[in-house]
Amino acid sequence: MLFKKKAKPDNTLSDEEIVARLQQAMEADRFAVLYDRYSTKVFQKCLGMTRNRELAQDLTHDIFVKAFVNLSKFDHRAKFGTWLYSITYNYCLDHLRKDQRYRSEPIEEEVHEGQEEGEDRYEAELFAIRFDLLEDVLSRLDPADRAMLLMKYQEEHSVKEIMEMLGLGESAVKMRMLRARERALQVYHQLMPAEP
Amino acid sequence: MSTNPFKIIRPTDQPPEHLRKDVMGSIKLVMLLVRFVQLFMADYAMSIFENVRLAGRRDQPQGDEQGRTKPQPPERT
Repeated sequence: MLFKKKAKPDNTLSDEEIVARLQQAMEADRFAVLYDRYSTKVFQKCLGMTRNRELAQDLTHDIFVKAFVNLSKFDHRAKFGTWLYSITYNYCLDHLRKDQRYRSEPIEEEVHEGQEEGEDRYEAELFAIRFDLLEDVLSRLDPADRAMLLMKYQEEHSVKEIMEMLGLGESAVKMRMLRARERALQVYHQLMPAEP
Repeated sequence: MSTNPFKIIRPTDQPPEHLRKDVMGSIKLVMLLVRFVQLFMADYAMSIFENVRLAGRRDQPQGDEQGRTKPQPPERT
């Protein structure tokens, strides 16, 4: 028999314990517990990145299937949530890049003098953006910049978590964050004169 | 400091109910495919290793890992 009737999985187990058991034996019901815990967050992240409900549904579906197929690669060094969000952001970025024929510009990643003091540069200006214009600003940014800003300011992930999710070094994350803020403000200032 | 506008535009939508069924359906399909692959792979591997084991045993005396032979029961006359 291919599938045996199994007892209902224990909902009190931690994510990592569930993954460890899934790595030993595949069980759809056990994976469903992880889906129930993370589907809303993953869906909302996809929606934040794409601003399209149907596309966000498709991406959420693909992300969970991809996570299931790659569970054996989860090495328990990071939290399961961080690992899943890493798949989420990278999958959304890949999709948006293909969709918009986006080509990333090479970014200088060496630490510039004075960068440390300017880590939060433009943050106050960024928070002064009118929220009704922010969606427009984000939609005009390239997906990588949008992801950076959403991870940091909407999901409030730490630099360390973003490093893990994107597989980048600390200085690269800080530099990309700074560039994303700069570009967002440039777009905002371009949009502002058009206002009545 | 002003309010974080990113928090204001944060999506609050819930994923639709049918998405769970779609995802779990796909997961079960993946499991089925993996099990079929395992079934065939296991068969080939089993047959290869079975042959190796049998070929290796032909010239070896029966005994444990230290080379000690197990006492045989006395033959009945």
